[in-house]
Amino acid sequence: MDLHWETIVISIVSFIVLYWALSRYAFDKLFNIMEQRRVLVLKQLEDAKQTKEQATQYVEDQKAALNEARKEAYEIVERSKQTSSKQAEQILEEASNAVVRLKSEAVRDIESEKNKAVEALRSEIGTVSVKIASKLLEKEVNMDNTQEQLVDQYLKEVGGKS
Amino acid sequence: MHEHPIIHVGGLSLDLSAISMLLVSMIVVFVFVRLCVSNLSVENPSKLQNFMEWVVEFVQSLIGSAMDLKKGKQYISLGLTLILFIFVSNLLGLPFSIITEANGPTEIFGYVIEATRNLGAGEHAEILWWKSPTADINMTAGLAIVIFILMNYLGLKHNRKYYLRHYIEPFPIFLPLNIIENLAKPIALAIRLFANIFAGEVLITVILKLGIIGIPFLAVWQGFSIFVGALQAFIFVILSMVYIAQTTIHEEH
Repeated sequence: MDLHWETIVISIVSFIVLYWALSRYAFDKLFNIMEQRRVLVLKQLEDAKQTKEQATQYVEDQKAALNEARKEAYEIVERSKQTSSKQAEQILEEASNAVVRLKSEAVRDIESEKNKAVEALRSEIGTVSVKIASKLLEKEVNMDNTQEQLVDQYLKEVGGKS
Repeated sequence: MHEHPIIHVGGLSLDLSAISMLLVSMIVVFVFVRLCVSNLSVENPSKLQNFMEWVVEFVQSLIGSAMDLKKGKQYISLGLTLILFIFVSNLLGLPFSIITEANGPTEIFGYVIEATRNLGAGEHAEILWWKSPTADINMTAGLAIVIFILMNYLGLKHNRKYYLRHYIEPFPIFLPLNIIENLAKPIALAIRLFANIFAGEVLITVILKLGIIGIPFLAVWQGFSIFVGALQAFIFVILSMVYIAQTTIHEEH
């Protein structure tokens, strides 16, 4: 194998020419596009990541809202349970109060009725006794004159006094 | 042994087959790359564009294994040109070769082909026209010289102090050894590439002499030669990058 310096020089020159031509007409464009593609892919990845994050956030929000609603529902049920039991107690209390009041009223009514009756009886008894007394007196007075005298005396006394 | 079609033009001896094969591989590489980048698109890359991007990324990772990719970015074009050019050159000689037989002094473009100049009666010369350009040591030497000049120039430019100091390390007496080491790099590059491809072509010629029995061997060997061609291109590029990294990058300790 013999060395030809002419061939060596020609190969060096042709390699440099090829390097220049490829850099000038092909690689610059290619690298440019590759860079753009890299940026695009990065951007798309970033977008996808963001979308995923948003979705996760949304799900979290939904979960939180659901929990909130559940808690609220539980609270409402609890509160209604409490109010109903309170109301029941209140109603019972009111009822017992009413009973007590009614009883005392009844007792008072009975008392006053009794008193009225007693009063009425008393006045009746008065008249009746007066009538009885007057009947008895009439009879006595008619039987003899002494008694008539006595009555007259009394009447006089009463009249004299007045 | 096949002869080179060498002609003497104005004091220069030109190897016509080397020149023509260089031109062919340059044109093949350039047309192929132009085809790949003719329809570039950001959104919807074609298959060729994908292939070219794969090659670029391959070269990027190759440079990245030799040096920091931030510093190595400027060498991507160089690595790409080298790997495409060497790979195409390695493959060109595989499918066929063109050999002419000359029985007397033969002229081309008005110049006598040197190998046929002194042929006597009954003698003949076989002249090899189509071959792998990398099966010629002059061609691989040219590439290796490019790398050699580049690595020393870049070392002097970017890393002068440490580049010059490495010649006298670990002791000044090692200076001749270091110079030999430096010179051995391009020689090894050139001879490795040339010998692999040349041996492949020689073996193809030998197998062809077997006749019909040789067909399966030839198929196997052709397939293996494609692999060797790719491997040698890869080795050439990665070694070039390692050499450039060695001279230009000084790692802080």
